[in-house]
Amino acid sequence: MSRIRCILLVAGLAALSLPLWLSLDGLSLGGHIALGIFLMAAIFWMAEPIPIYATSLLVITLQVLLLSSQGIVVTFSDPPTVAPEAVDSEVWVIPESAYSSATEQVYLLESNGSFRGLSVEVVERGNAGVLVRPFTIPPDTELLADAGHWRRGIEPVSYTVFLGTLSNPIIILFLGGFLLAAAAVRYELERNLTRIFLKPFGNAPSNILLGMMLVTAVLSAFMSNTATTAMMMTVVLPLIRQLPDGDRFRIGLALCIPVAANIGGIITPIGTPPNAIVIAALAEQGYSIPFGIWMLLTTPLVLVLMAIVWFTLMRLFPCKQAQVELELSGNFQRSPKAIALYLIFGTTVILWVTEAWHGLSSSLVALLPIAGLTACQVVEKQEIRSLPWEVLWLVAGGIALGISMRDTGLAMWLISGVPWGALGVLGLLIVFCLVAVTFSNFLSNTVTATLVIPLAIGLSVGGVLPDTQTLFTVALMIAVSCSLGMALPISTPPNAIAYSTGLLRTVDLAKVGIFTAVVGILLAMASALLLWPLILPSITG
Amino acid sequence: MKNELAILCIEDEPDVLDALVRDLAAFEDYFLVETASDVNEAEGVLDRLRASNTAVGLIFCDHILPGKNGVDFLVELHKNPDTRLTRKVLFTGQAGLEATVTAVNRAGLHYYIAKPWNPEEVVACAREQLTRYVIQAGLNPLPYMKILDTDQLSAAIARRDFLTDR
Repeated sequence: MSRIRCILLVAGLAALSLPLWLSLDGLSLGGHIALGIFLMAAIFWMAEPIPIYATSLLVITLQVLLLSSQGIVVTFSDPPTVAPEAVDSEVWVIPESAYSSATEQVYLLESNGSFRGLSVEVVERGNAGVLVRPFTIPPDTELLADAGHWRRGIEPVSYTVFLGTLSNPIIILFLGGFLLAAAAVRYELERNLTRIFLKPFGNAPSNILLGMMLVTAVLSAFMSNTATTAMMMTVVLPLIRQLPDGDRFRIGLALCIPVAANIGGIITPIGTPPNAIVIAALAEQGYSIPFGIWMLLTTPLVLVLMAIVWFTLMRLFPCKQAQVELELSGNFQRSPKAIALYLIFGTTVILWVTEAWHGLSSSLVALLPIAGLTACQVVEKQEIRSLPWEVLWLVAGGIALGISMRDTGLAMWLISGVPWGALGVLGLLIVFCLVAVTFSNFLSNTVTATLVIPLAIGLSVGGVLPDTQTLFTVALMIAVSCSLGMALPISTPPNAIAYSTGLLRTVDLAKVGIFTAVVGILLAMASALLLWPLILPSITG
Repeated sequence: MKNELAILCIEDEPDVLDALVRDLAAFEDYFLVETASDVNEAEGVLDRLRASNTAVGLIFCDHILPGKNGVDFLVELHKNPDTRLTRKVLFTGQAGLEATVTAVNRAGLHYYIAKPWNPEEVVACAREQLTRYVIQAGLNPLPYMKILDTDQLSAAIARRDFLTDR
């Protein structure tokens, strides 16, 4: 075990050192560094010699060190510079080495440590150097003395770009969601809502199964899929115990929870971390999806998918009993803090869903639970300390990686060389979909989104995707697909929880998981072709 | 996942010890079941487990043992940070009131099983106590969901964020 880990760590470091031993055509030095970080992160995220959130923090750290203006590479590389001498107001003398005849440019040192190319016309070449014009620059400007210097290949950005991902608006949105969930758990709001929601479904097994799935999906749209599954297992286990050992409905009940939790996460931007990765990548391109619009785009396909899965589960795992007793007791808490929670919860959800009308971004609205719940002391230090911070770090690292892949030209470089255009938009959608679903069966869903979305962004920047609407369609498809990988116990934590109870076999999970994924992909395709074109123009303009 | 947590049974009469271990057979796939016939031997077992980084989740301890008695040993274990969280069960027919009171007050005794015992009670007790240990020690509950109290472990996952979306 530890030997495998050593090999993986060495492989990661070898990938990271790629710029030292490999030179790829058409990729800048910054692109090589970003590629090294990308490959290291991919190895670490896939094989997990260290936890996935640790890899994310490593990504951010390496970007700050290697690609930022304040990092060690830029600070200590100290490329030689030279001050041009003025001959008259237009003509300047520069050393021969500072002029690049290949690009017909000289390179000006910018305040952030990067070098900006400036096209010049050569007036005369002499012993003193090259006379060039026009060269209108402020005094005290310095030129790169050696035009071929390697440092020109890095265009550093401020380290705040990378550190800022830790407080990216989407991270704040998730933090708001986490606080709401923590408060709901503390005051048993989620249990009480479950009790109320399940009541109308009665005692018939098929209705109970439907009720369980709907409640799980709705809760997991706002809470973590994992916490929702764990909570719903405590609801469903007493039911399962009422049934005789051989009753296949036991399997159906145990299966419906993780499946509904996995796909319920698709419904809202805060439902599951892959959504955050996709939304942040679009935001980096200057596009936003209002909360309610996201729900409008994804809810129909999730509802139809749930109905089909429900029908299938009832067929595969029929109940021998005519009735199942569902006993849920409890009362809504009435303490002032609990009431404050209900008010803040209700207001936040309403403001999120209605974002398209009032225009306040959902991240801003998330400040309401963040400030409100802490000010009212509905959540206190203990809850704050036990928030899943590592999920936020995981997402931040993914966002940061996407930023450097785009800014260094790596994303564009990766997609060049493959004739993507020949696939057509439909072909592209299918490829992204299949890649994302396959990966997310074996990898973390968030990591899958992180590895796949930069390619979509590259295709958009590179002009392969014809318009913004197509970019949105591809991005949404990636988000949906990342939540559909659920064929194995290790695919998602909800699967792991259900499987660990011993109530279901891997083959049950695989059968239903693959079925759900296939139907889900078809429904997503149908949405992309029929539904999304009706809604997307309202946000892409 | 086997061997991450141990159950230690301390009992000087071999027949009784065998019977107890037999009653705990269902747990053997998930826990290391260790035995000792007196406190000296038990300390050796604990040293060995510590060396292999295996925590002791549950101790069944007889009171009347050759050498140091069971209650005094439990008091020591309660003071030791390594075994403070360990669930402690006094498993005896002969502990007087005084020794029992000491065990409750100073050893943080969690359960008392009177000999002769009912096998179902031993299983239920082990299940309950190990569930509490897994939750209190903050261990990942998933490997134990099948054998221990699934409801309580699920609730702990929901409440404590042992697992998160990923």
